[in-house]
Amino acid sequence: MTTPLKLLSIAAMASTMLATAPMGVQAGGVLRLDEVAVGELDPAIASDYADSILMFNVYDTLVLPAQGGPGHVPHLAESWEGDGTSFTFKLRNDVKFISGNLLTADDVVFSLDRMKAMGKGLSYLFANVEKAEAVDASTVKFTLTKAYSPFIASLVRLPIVDKKTVIANLGDGEGEMKDWGSAYLTAQSAGTGAYKIVSHTPQEETVMEKNADYFLGVPEPAPDTARLRYGLEAATVRTLLAQGEHDIASQWLPPEVIKALAANGAQTLTESGTGAFYVKMNTTKPPMDDVNCRMAFAKAFDYGAAVKMIAVTDEVSQGAAATGAIPVGMFGANPAEQVIERDLEAAKQHLAECKYSPEDFTLEISWIAEVPLEERFALLMQANYTELGVKSEIRKMPWALFAEQVSKPENTPHMSQLFVNAVTGDPDTLLYGMYHSSSAGTWQSPEYLKDEEVDKLLDTGRTAATPEARQEAYAALNARLMELAPTIYGYDRQSVFAASDRVKVPALSDPSKAFGLDGMGFTFRLMEVAE
Amino acid sequence: MKRTLAILTANPLSLLGLVLVFVVVFSAVFADFIAPFPEHAGAVVDFANFNQPPQWPYIFGTDLVGRDLFTRVIYAYRISLILGIVVLAIAVPIGVSIGLVAGYLGGRTEYVLMRLTDVFLSVPPLVLAMSIMGVLKPTLANGMLAVTVMWWPWYTRLVYNITRGEKEEGYVLAAEVIGASRLHIIFREILPNCVPAIVTKMTLDMGFVILIASSLSFLGLGVQPPTPDLGSMVADGAKYLPDSWWLTIFPGLAILVAVFGFNLIGDALRDILGAEQ
Repeated sequence: MTTPLKLLSIAAMASTMLATAPMGVQAGGVLRLDEVAVGELDPAIASDYADSILMFNVYDTLVLPAQGGPGHVPHLAESWEGDGTSFTFKLRNDVKFISGNLLTADDVVFSLDRMKAMGKGLSYLFANVEKAEAVDASTVKFTLTKAYSPFIASLVRLPIVDKKTVIANLGDGEGEMKDWGSAYLTAQSAGTGAYKIVSHTPQEETVMEKNADYFLGVPEPAPDTARLRYGLEAATVRTLLAQGEHDIASQWLPPEVIKALAANGAQTLTESGTGAFYVKMNTTKPPMDDVNCRMAFAKAFDYGAAVKMIAVTDEVSQGAAATGAIPVGMFGANPAEQVIERDLEAAKQHLAECKYSPEDFTLEISWIAEVPLEERFALLMQANYTELGVKSEIRKMPWALFAEQVSKPENTPHMSQLFVNAVTGDPDTLLYGMYHSSSAGTWQSPEYLKDEEVDKLLDTGRTAATPEARQEAYAALNARLMELAPTIYGYDRQSVFAASDRVKVPALSDPSKAFGLDGMGFTFRLMEVAE
Repeated sequence: MKRTLAILTANPLSLLGLVLVFVVVFSAVFADFIAPFPEHAGAVVDFANFNQPPQWPYIFGTDLVGRDLFTRVIYAYRISLILGIVVLAIAVPIGVSIGLVAGYLGGRTEYVLMRLTDVFLSVPPLVLAMSIMGVLKPTLANGMLAVTVMWWPWYTRLVYNITRGEKEEGYVLAAEVIGASRLHIIFREILPNCVPAIVTKMTLDMGFVILIASSLSFLGLGVQPPTPDLGSMVADGAKYLPDSWWLTIFPGLAILVAVFGFNLIGDALRDILGAEQ
């Protein structure tokens, strides 16, 4: 470019900038959202909400949850058939990875092997899958070790990665597959997804852009670019959104802030039916190893105050009263009107029967620093238990610290507050990870519950062939969990997101378009962003 | 003393300082009588009245669990003052003694003591306190300990410098000639001459101790809930800005009042005592 031309183009740029400046921020198809740090990009490690948003946009799965109802629809697969312990999937033959490689049965086999071999994230969902085999280039057969009813549902958590690209980018590690390409996949994507990674800084921000070659095509109104930022302060999100510089706030904003945003014209998006707010008691630590003490704390909790606290507006709330261990709408849940209520007299009675006396212990009530609402639950519990004559101290823990400390029972606080969701929408994935004795010691299971009957019912629930049999198993499990009280079942939860009115998200605003799977509503290609 | 008070009240700024400090001390001492809801300083929740803007009877509004902010600010002053007094009551004697000994004896003693002091001074105060609090459990007593550990070196250095000058003075030489013991010379001859500087610094520091303790609790390392603390109130409230502004503004102003008040008095004292010397 010659110098005069350069000058001219700079002048032209300057004049466009001048022309657009008075219009305010020109977003131009950019979607801006935020979540709690860190964003894990490797689909075999991904587990929480931020990770799910990434996973559902840069990768695809064989099936997708049906919108607005139960069941699953084919996605990367064209069709499937199965008999309980073996399933055969016919793959589409027009799907390309962002590398340009064609998706084949080998990639599916590799993705499952990788997930199982790494044994991280949600790999436990595939514990009952013995193997996957490529029958031919577009047919893949899964063999299960035993009947596992939620198998199809769990496939929404098996993102298909590009085998050739991963093999070409193996990092350091032992064995033939070294690190299974994890070092590469925590920074890059190797998927078929509608979006591809532009840049990724796990503590700060992930920038994604449309994949023009997506096999379903990405609709024009969908965002061209998505910027997912991590760990923004509530006050920052509040200000950015009010100034039109943010589009969708994370669900972790305190209800007051969402309320204020709604009053200023923000829309509220919702996602519900798959999870609950739980206060988990470490059953290995005195006095929580005595069921009477646990019952006392569960009965003394002020459920009414909790539900009142989470109301956003008259119509929208972050949750509804709990009826038991299983949220209303899932197999085994109690009827919606049978809500758990506070009973201080019963609590006192239980405490009197507990082998520890209140003078001898101080409860440690933790709350996750990134979720300010939990501080209020901590204060509520502290006040509730003061009425029982129980001393308590409140401890603020950043998520990263909490996730590390729960791996040892002695470091796990007496009380941990957690929002847990069925990662596949099936009750098995909500309850197995929390209560089966083999899954103790993860962030979902700071209870360290060991109960044979619970284990047996959980196993029945996942192997029973008919919906009726599953319903029966989960109902029995619910009753048993109420009796054991390892957890205070706070409320059934609904995620509420404050959003600017330049975005339309049918999956989070129209019940007939809802996926019934947490995080799936954030499928960017189904959103619309006004220019 | 009378003259000092007269000068203090004559200067409008120092008079303002006196008034502010009086307000702080008075509310802390008589918290039980002034606070409209004394029980709100403890583990109480009242969800019927949570997050209310300032209005009667909640003149500072209520916090997110329905506790009266005015009550909590008053009780927080009590904690802040106790913390300030305890920290200075421990840090000042230690720091002053070390400074006197190092300054007067000189030689190897001076070298060892002052290098030790330098080590403490070389670590940024908040970082030092944070690392101590990180290791220990965050309680009020440990908070005091952490702040004390970072505070004494400043007095050592101050007193050391004065002592170095004073020990060459005629009155010290005279005391040495008549055979006074070292203890006598250090504490009875030199110390009285350091008092004005120490008093001035203590007054100034009262504000800073409150500020640093608030910073610690702002970071979640100070006094633990439900005990009211200005720093944690600001930290918690900041998440709800700008809508629930009262959660941050009033505790923030309360810190300002205390720190500003002690500083104004400290400045005035420095002028007066410095002039006297």
